[in-house]
Amino acid sequence: MADTLAFRFHLERSASFTLDMGGEVPLRGVTAVSGPSGSGKTTLLRALAGLDARTGDTAEVRFRGQSWDGPGGYTPPEARRIGFVFQEPYLFTHMSVEQNLRYGAKRRDVTAIDGIVEALDLAPLLPRGVDGLSGGEARRVALGRALAANPQVLFLDEPLSGLDADRKAEVLPYLARAVGEAQVPALYVTHATDEIATLADRTLLIDKGRISGWRAAPFHLIAGVVGHEGEDAICEILTGSGEDAAAGAGARLRVPVRARMGERVRLGVPRDALLISVAHPGPNSALAVLPARIAEQSGPAGPVLDVFGQRQPVATVPETGEGGRVWLSVLRVLPRPERDDSDS
Amino acid sequence: MSLWPVISLTLQLAAITTIILMAFAIPFAWWLARTRARIRPLLEAVTSLPLVLPPTVLGFYLLILMSPDSPLGALWLSATGETLTFSFTGLVIASLFYSLPFAVQPLQTAFMAVPQTTIDTARTLGATSRDAFFSITMPLARRGFLTAAVLTFAHTIGEFGVILMVGGNIPGRTRVISIEIFTAVETLDYATAHVLSAGLLVFSFLVLTVVYALNRNGGTRIG
Repeated sequence: MADTLAFRFHLERSASFTLDMGGEVPLRGVTAVSGPSGSGKTTLLRALAGLDARTGDTAEVRFRGQSWDGPGGYTPPEARRIGFVFQEPYLFTHMSVEQNLRYGAKRRDVTAIDGIVEALDLAPLLPRGVDGLSGGEARRVALGRALAANPQVLFLDEPLSGLDADRKAEVLPYLARAVGEAQVPALYVTHATDEIATLADRTLLIDKGRISGWRAAPFHLIAGVVGHEGEDAICEILTGSGEDAAAGAGARLRVPVRARMGERVRLGVPRDALLISVAHPGPNSALAVLPARIAEQSGPAGPVLDVFGQRQPVATVPETGEGGRVWLSVLRVLPRPERDDSDS
Repeated sequence: MSLWPVISLTLQLAAITTIILMAFAIPFAWWLARTRARIRPLLEAVTSLPLVLPPTVLGFYLLILMSPDSPLGALWLSATGETLTFSFTGLVIASLFYSLPFAVQPLQTAFMAVPQTTIDTARTLGATSRDAFFSITMPLARRGFLTAAVLTFAHTIGEFGVILMVGGNIPGRTRVISIEIFTAVETLDYATAHVLSAGLLVFSFLVLTVVYALNRNGGTRIG
């Protein structure tokens, strides 16, 4: 049984737009779905969820070998167990926050939602109505409501769209934590330039209703939790190639992530939070300065850095030649607890 | 002379009409609010016709439809032994047409104000379409339900022209308040006309106040 979500669609939606694509998404970790607006990202997610089917559509969807749509049989949206978070929160305005959270849970025989309430800091909001919630709070409730229904896959359709930078920064850590802790695979619609793309294990690129390609995970490092300081975890970059563990002795970062001792954390590093210099930059305000080697000066997918044995793609490197020593200043990271084996 | 038979008959007519019309209008308005079918504007126009047609026109066609010479009227006559015209049943049928837009339009508007994505969210959370209708759509559209029921009831009570055409003026069977007022004025019984007219005036004013109060609160709670 393939651990994938396989699909083939031919959906004529207007004179100028037809979604015509087929593909297979691995059900491990986070798959970003990226493309210009109007390219069909939302249409794809809604079609996969079985929403707005029309006569004349050709649709075939298989989830872990089970037919959701097509000749193999049809599964209605309510039986697909998708945790769908839309661009706007669409909270149920005639219910309290707690009733919103329990709506899906009740229908899937889930009684304990404490873990989700805690992970998303929703306890103080529970008795409130949804009208008075701030934008960031409403997004957290929408995310919690989807997670509380015990989904087997998450569909996140730009769940932070419309929030200003401050609100985004407020919700982002919750989102990263929830996605990491839920241990369910996620499809995440986002703009390629978004910081959130840093969370993705791979990116499906879409243009004009068709798949235009796949992109590997952007720059990230795997670290292990070696201690705690306040709410934060102290993470040490793992040596990927089994080199001397002492090599990572100085490579410790204090990261706002909730993870236990010994657990792995995936540290996504946004493009603009990564500085590469030929000489050690000296004491500075970066989270960490890590030694690295240029593994490939100009590989087929661009330059590749070797950081403690972890090979990661970067946009550009200094002209020092392959094997050349460089220093990596990491200005900030987007941590994601790594509870599954999505990187193995 | 007691006015009670007239008032009682009027209330019965309004209540029965409201119940039947709501049972029909809820699924119909839901369909109108969601369908992409090309026939929709046509059905919306038909639904709204009673708003613009003179009641005499509507009454005339209903009279033809229900007369013992027509297939429907003949069928009714052979089945029950009574004519459909100038009967209480005939009044109910006429009222169903006459008050149709007052039931359908508030419901349709309320259903359209419930975002499709809110319903989709409920579906992905495990609700069947039926479950989502009762747990999400109906509570969110509750003001539309109240408005539709109240307006249908009130409008049926105030009906005159259509009733005169298909029901006539038979005490205990088709003589409703509005007809009674007409009869009273014709016979110069202004006292009766005053009592019934003032009653209808106050009733209608209260009903409209309730409807507008409901709608004032309704506009702000979408999304």
